[in-house]
Amino acid sequence: MRTYILKRLLLIVPTLLGAATLVFVIMRVIPGDVALLILGGDQGHVDEKQLVAMRQQLGLDQPLVVQFGTWLWGVVRFDFGKSLWTGQPVVEELLIRLPLSLELALLATLVSVLISIPLGMLAAVRQDTWVDYVVRVVSIGGLAIPGFWVGILCILFLVIFFGWGPPLEFTPPWVDPWTNFQMMVWPVVTVGYRYAAVTTRMTRSTLLEVLREDYIRTAWAKGLREQAVVIRHALKNSMLPVITLIGTEFAFLIGGLVVTETVFTLNGIGRFVVDAVAHRDYPVVQALIFLTAFSFVIVNLLVDLTYAWFDPRIRYR
Amino acid sequence: MAAGIRRHRNHFIFITLALLAGSIVAATSAAVQAAETPRRGGVLLAVIGADPPSLDPHQESTFATIQLVAPLYSTLLQVDPYSYPKIIGDAATEWKISPDGLTYTFKIRQGIKFHDGSTLTAADVKATYDKIAFPPQGVRSVRKGSYTPIKSIEAPDASTVVFKLKFPSASLMNNLASPWNVIYPKKYLDTDPNYFKTNVVGSGPFKFKNYTRGATFEGERNPDYFVKDRPYLDGYKFFISPETTVRAAAIRSGRAYIEFRDLPGAEVEAIKKQLGDKIAVQQVSATGWWGISVNNSIKPFNDARVRRALTLGLDRYTAGRVLLPLTGLRDVGPLMRPGTEWALPPDELEKFPGFGKDMEKNRAEAKRLLAEAGYPNGLKVVLKNRNVKLPYQDFAVFVIQEWKKIGVEAENRPLETATWFSDGRDTGNFEAIISPGVEFMDDPDVMLRRYVFGDPGNWGRFNDPALEDLFARQARSLDPAERKKLVFEMQRRVLENAYYLPGLWWTRRVVHWAKVKNYVAPPNHYSNQKLQDVWLSED
Repeated sequence: MRTYILKRLLLIVPTLLGAATLVFVIMRVIPGDVALLILGGDQGHVDEKQLVAMRQQLGLDQPLVVQFGTWLWGVVRFDFGKSLWTGQPVVEELLIRLPLSLELALLATLVSVLISIPLGMLAAVRQDTWVDYVVRVVSIGGLAIPGFWVGILCILFLVIFFGWGPPLEFTPPWVDPWTNFQMMVWPVVTVGYRYAAVTTRMTRSTLLEVLREDYIRTAWAKGLREQAVVIRHALKNSMLPVITLIGTEFAFLIGGLVVTETVFTLNGIGRFVVDAVAHRDYPVVQALIFLTAFSFVIVNLLVDLTYAWFDPRIRYR
Repeated sequence: MAAGIRRHRNHFIFITLALLAGSIVAATSAAVQAAETPRRGGVLLAVIGADPPSLDPHQESTFATIQLVAPLYSTLLQVDPYSYPKIIGDAATEWKISPDGLTYTFKIRQGIKFHDGSTLTAADVKATYDKIAFPPQGVRSVRKGSYTPIKSIEAPDASTVVFKLKFPSASLMNNLASPWNVIYPKKYLDTDPNYFKTNVVGSGPFKFKNYTRGATFEGERNPDYFVKDRPYLDGYKFFISPETTVRAAAIRSGRAYIEFRDLPGAEVEAIKKQLGDKIAVQQVSATGWWGISVNNSIKPFNDARVRRALTLGLDRYTAGRVLLPLTGLRDVGPLMRPGTEWALPPDELEKFPGFGKDMEKNRAEAKRLLAEAGYPNGLKVVLKNRNVKLPYQDFAVFVIQEWKKIGVEAENRPLETATWFSDGRDTGNFEAIISPGVEFMDDPDVMLRRYVFGDPGNWGRFNDPALEDLFARQARSLDPAERKKLVFEMQRRVLENAYYLPGLWWTRRVVHWAKVKNYVAPPNHYSNQKLQDVWLSED
């Protein structure tokens, strides 16, 4: 097991390097020049000499290999450079937003798990009854309805009927838990609903598959109670695809909630990425993609390790 | 014919009366508000749609910069907060213009302190205007062109600044009242002219408190402000959200008290319906417009017949009705704001391609011109656009469906802002592109510079020496009647040749809680943002 974990940790290096190279190349291939943007503002007063000076100042006059090497060397020292746009260290900018994104991802995952596993189980056990139909309608709704729409509806509902809107500024839970709750509950519900919809569908279908296995039939034949058959024998074995999904979604939530963050004025990683791409802020984009790739790799590793707990037959070498 | 002229004249009189009535209402409301006893304290909560590209107004031209930082700074002159476009002093207490119009002397108020404790002197004003008019290498000054008449700036003593001009300028006083020209302390400019892109050291009614990109921008009361007993507020705080619905909801729920730029008509109505008297809406015709630049340097747009056909194909009067509730775009006008002394009167405007009201006739003429230019079956155009809904996308949708009626198939190509600049405006890599303009003043120098070849605002890249000559002459003309004649002539020439295709002029709707007192919305979202007189009647 230890060797396996070590191997997987070592594999993180080429994975992250691949992601970093890809994003580095893409950012430089797409049209738009940060120097031109900084100088051009929104009236296009660009002087060629100023443009050259600005590129020099930003280090963009160096060959691409040198730029990439410099950046990688910085990453090794946990120095992601400075934002080309604001001049602030990228790590500082990141740390402002990371708590919010992590809190949202964690709470949405929690909500999703708490809703989806019981519902998915219920739908599978009561297949083709009204319970199953209701769960299916609700979960398909979660998949079909765009998150931003649910978010906007949520806000409008509160504003129109109660004259109340969520706070516009993030307060960490350790500073003021009540204000934090007022702000986070709505995005958590919005994101959690979609997330729960995906997971409910997955739980239902994998559990249905397991419930048709021979050993389950044997369990029923032995006269075991429904609770024991479903929870002890079936549910645990049906969880592997579900936890894979939960892991992937969690990693996605850290940096992928641009629209939700916009709707609820959350200053999270998702909006930061989009803003950085729009401004061609290379160090910020590279750092954020790096962080997202890192989250995916770590979450995947944790998911793989969890497999062994759910299925003792799995042994890692 | 006579009936037609009478109708146009009535239309003109109506617009003039409407503007006059608006001004009276605004002035009365300002007077009434001023008569109330101001209450001290409270933090003004506002919402804004974007982050600033940088914090240096000399280098930027977006509301996202000026609205956030204007309360932190002083300017030499300013537009009267209660009476646009009257010019009053800010750091300057008095001024004198020499009889030949070549020397402007300003006296600087004594005792103005920067937020770092140093004293504001004439040397700081000189350093500021040197940076604006004669920016050093690597420093951008977006309005440098407005200060070309300046030969030199001198500070003979700590309280006197002298601007010496190369030639008399009709617009220098207006340009010296620009809200963008905030005064910086010289010592910081000496070490780094770009220092203020990311730092703030002003002498305004508020001091910088905090800025978190993508979230909030805050200022707090400056207890040492040079205007006695001001500001009334303890501070101000902007919440940054690019989503219009979210900003509107923030106002509705009372999380924010004001949106200084604009909200769509539907949102304004919904807010008014829900909150009634608790809400005030100030609607003003704005010094801003949306139009289309066609690339005059490439075929077929270098052919005046094609450009005229394109402008003839736009039913601006219908557009004004359809787009107003969606976008705030309303008024049909020439190159200067309709209703102002500089704008061609409506009856004359209607004689130019695309401004006549008989659209059947216009479209027939457009088709004839296209056929004559070699496009009897119409043509295809790529219309580059910014991927921002309000009002860019809505305006483009209208343009495209209008052009379809004359056989022009336009493809809307929305681009993110960076690409809209770099692969459109800056490189000239476009056939047609949506190009707007919002200025702080109805001054012809400010508004018409973009129709001169080589000016960065001339996206369409047309080169007409006659325009250059007219612009230069009006800029130097100190005789208002003579200047007006030249300004009219310049507009006629651009419209006749369809170098640029004007769309519609913008109407600004500022929505705020009635408890926000003493804010009078000017026709643009750049000036009157100092907030020194603004107060809250309750928290």
